[in-house]
Amino acid sequence: MTERTPRVDCVSALKELWDFLDGELTPDRLEAIRQHIDICSSCFPHYDFEKTFLEAIAATRPGCSAPDRLKARVEAALREAGYSGRCAR
Amino acid sequence: MTELENDRTEADARFEQEAVPWLDDVYRFALSLTRNEAEAEDVVQETFLRAYRSWHTYQPGSDARRWLFTIARNVFLRVRERGRRQVELEDGDVETLAAVREQAESRSESVDALLARIDLGPAIGDALGRLQEPFRSAVVLVDVEDQSYEAAAEILGVPIGTVRSRLFRGRRLLQQMLLAYASDAGFAAPSPSGDPA
Repeated sequence: MTERTPRVDCVSALKELWDFLDGELTPDRLEAIRQHIDICSSCFPHYDFEKTFLEAIAATRPGCSAPDRLKARVEAALREAGYSGRCAR
Repeated sequence: MTELENDRTEADARFEQEAVPWLDDVYRFALSLTRNEAEAEDVVQETFLRAYRSWHTYQPGSDARRWLFTIARNVFLRVRERGRRQVELEDGDVETLAAVREQAESRSESVDALLARIDLGPAIGDALGRLQEPFRSAVVLVDVEDQSYEAAAEILGVPIGTVRSRLFRGRRLLQQMLLAYASDAGFAAPSPSGDPA
């Protein structure tokens, strides 16, 4: 059987793990790394940990909107600079 | 209305339509960078003032959110990092990766399990607040704001390789802080040599 994607070993899988998790690889390379991680008992725990870690960072994203008082404050500051539009709704 | 006034009104209308709708996003970005509401509000106000004054330089049809993030990050650096020595350690990708992987590989399975057991949310928020520039901006843009390496590079005004380097080093520093946090919380004693406990 001929392989359609370059071989991936543990060293290259770990080296490219964050690029993989960030979706910054070519589709072929992404799929090759995915196939390796799926079947490798050594790499999978690393993948699982880094994925959890990145999800935890992403979860720190503030879910709030800018307070109304800030919108009013920005609008007032812009008006002083000559702005004729609005910021607060 | 004079022609000049008419131009100004049109520019203001475009600013209101294209820049102002991103105020919430800029606020969240500023909050992620500063970890402090009062500082974030100062950053937002200054960002929109600068954006308004420079609106004539904005290219219509380009990414206004990205443009505002660039300004916000510059404001953040000026406000927050003034007088503070920046850690400008630009590791090469290979070196950074090697260090990261060395750490990962020396970490015992029990440490992974340990970090899985602790509540990462508050600990990561605290660690992000202590992460130095330029690493914090890279981590916030890619990991919190879900920007691509290419978008982060444009916002930060650096090559993609530099984003990758700062990002990977920032993540490694965060992981080190989390291990220290876990140790301080009494979950485990640190194992600096990586030897199995």
